[in-house]
Amino acid sequence: MEFTQVFEPLALDSLHDFALSRKEDGWRYVQTLAVNKDDGVDLVYSFMKNGALVNSVISDVPRDAEVPSISDAFLAAFVFENEIHDLFGVRITDIAIDFEGNFYRVSEEYPMTIISPEQLAAREKAAKIAAAKAAKERAAANAAEASAEAAAEAEKPSEDEEARKAAELEAKLAAMDPEKAAKVRAAMEARAKKGGE
Amino acid sequence: MGKATVIPFGPQHPVLPEPLHLDLVVQDETVIDCLPQIGFIHRGLEKLVEKRDYNQFIYVAERICGICAMGHSLGYAETVEELMGVEVPKRAEYLRVIWHELSRIHSHLLWLGLAADAFGFESLFMHCWRLRERVLDLFEKTTGGRVILSVVKVGGVVRDIDGAMLREIVAVLEGLEAEYATIVSTLLTDASIKNRTVGVGVISHEEALDLSMVGPFARASAVNYDCRMLGRGAYGDLSDFQPILDTQGDCYARIKVRCSEVLQSIAIIKELVAKIPTGDIAVDVKGSPADGSQASNVLEQPRGECYYYARGNGSKNLERMRMRTPTSQNLAGMVAALKGCDLADVNMIILTIDPCVSCTER
Amino acid sequence: MGSFRLGGMTFGSLFKKPETVLYPLETKPAPAGLKGHVVNEVELCILCGICQKGCPADAITVEKKERLWAIDPFRCVQCGACVRACPKDCLIMDAASTAITVEKYRTERTVPDPKAVTEAVVAEG
Repeated sequence: MEFTQVFEPLALDSLHDFALSRKEDGWRYVQTLAVNKDDGVDLVYSFMKNGALVNSVISDVPRDAEVPSISDAFLAAFVFENEIHDLFGVRITDIAIDFEGNFYRVSEEYPMTIISPEQLAAREKAAKIAAAKAAKERAAANAAEASAEAAAEAEKPSEDEEARKAAELEAKLAAMDPEKAAKVRAAMEARAKKGGE
Repeated sequence: MGKATVIPFGPQHPVLPEPLHLDLVVQDETVIDCLPQIGFIHRGLEKLVEKRDYNQFIYVAERICGICAMGHSLGYAETVEELMGVEVPKRAEYLRVIWHELSRIHSHLLWLGLAADAFGFESLFMHCWRLRERVLDLFEKTTGGRVILSVVKVGGVVRDIDGAMLREIVAVLEGLEAEYATIVSTLLTDASIKNRTVGVGVISHEEALDLSMVGPFARASAVNYDCRMLGRGAYGDLSDFQPILDTQGDCYARIKVRCSEVLQSIAIIKELVAKIPTGDIAVDVKGSPADGSQASNVLEQPRGECYYYARGNGSKNLERMRMRTPTSQNLAGMVAALKGCDLADVNMIILTIDPCVSCTER
Repeated sequence: MGSFRLGGMTFGSLFKKPETVLYPLETKPAPAGLKGHVVNEVELCILCGICQKGCPADAITVEKKERLWAIDPFRCVQCGACVRACPKDCLIMDAASTAITVEKYRTERTVPDPKAVTEAVVAEG
């Protein structure tokens, strides 16, 4: 038996039929989990058969949506469905053993939906890193454009040997695909900087 | 037929080391329905992943449950490695599995002692825990901890076991095996134990499949599934691995399966010690999981298959960490096993299912 | 039959060396590498604060200005993350467990300033 895992998307409307068909095909129910997001939750339903673990992801379920229970097909799901209701505030209808919000005794309602300051800080940091990366790429692209202009100017007969070489290289780079050219240019700039220091 | 009455069972009960509450609907000494209730010790450890980075969370993960500590740290580390695409050195994989199988032996011996104690078999309880102590001493010598080992990290393990220590592990286990055989033969041939367990709390093969049961509880009903047979990590290098099955599906079958699993674990450790390669025990893990990346993982814990899920958000902290423990998966099976049993058998059935409530309520 | 064998095993233990020790008169020797408590050899410490950042239990505080390194033994979980993270190897996991106490406390160590020492020597000279 070989272990494989996949994540595949699933629509909320087809969840119940999907569970029934899984049951018929002899899949084993593994688990249900929820991931809190800014506007809603992601639900992940996992099933396993012959070592293949298939995680079906229902993305961005709105907070006020009604999710059908699959505990009529897989009784073992009642634990997780009650849990998701109590901790994430997802309304799951017709659970086989429904605790109606009394499965966990929580002091705050739906504790997993609260975005802690730490999580917010982590998200901001991640966003900053992503933004910095994007800015760097943009800067590299701008630099590439600028140097292309410079190259165009340098096409005129030059007295400097170096400028002629640079122009030759620019012409070569122009033939390359733009992404690769930008990379080469960035590397050259870095080298020039190092040499200048 | 008498009137149906509800009898509360737990959360404080002599057979339960952990809080689990059952509302038993009883009619003439027969349980006709049962409603399990957990949630007395929910700690919200899954939420704590936001405050601890992925290297630190491993110490939180192994504190989910004392008995399954090694399993949880291993499962968590494997999931994060999957998420970040880290390749663990072969020697580290072997060491992890050796510790994990040792913890299975200690968990099953602990359970066996508790079961014997619940039967009123005090001397057997003492002997089981005496043997378990030797496994704990091995942990102490190899990791520096007895229960919480803190020995796995993302990217490998933190301590190596040298050749002399590996030979000592095998020697201790060989010594343990002979005494364990005596204990098991006593337990399995004892007339009063058979009277209380044979034919009690039967789960048929079809029911076990229908309820998606996992672990020794399912294998006692001939469900041929054990995560170790998926051959991940060092398990893939075993010459042969066959799950231990029984067809009866009653309490006695569950005891038998667990008893044999200890011997199987000893055999696995011996084989791995003979085969262990030399080399590094850890790789450096740099960077953080990518935004939106997700990974899942299954691992065979002493009580059954445990499912892990992790999602990254681009920072050092994970967006979501999830553990689905074997006991929460088996709650439905427990309800099915309890329906129709005698009130006096309830504690026997619950014990042989071996629920771990700490794991269930992270 | 099994009961007889178990009976034999139990009876035999009357004559064998006991499995337990007479605590507190006797104690088991601590194996090498046992996780007892964290010790800081302050002479080597550079107050970099990496141990504080790595600690999963927030047990360690490093105050660079006051040249203070402190650990709360009641928060410490003996995971050894700080010992592995230390760039100067001045943190050591001691095998001895901490003494029993009736009230909470914090272990504080003042880190000597190597610069201050040399300056003092220069001033004297």
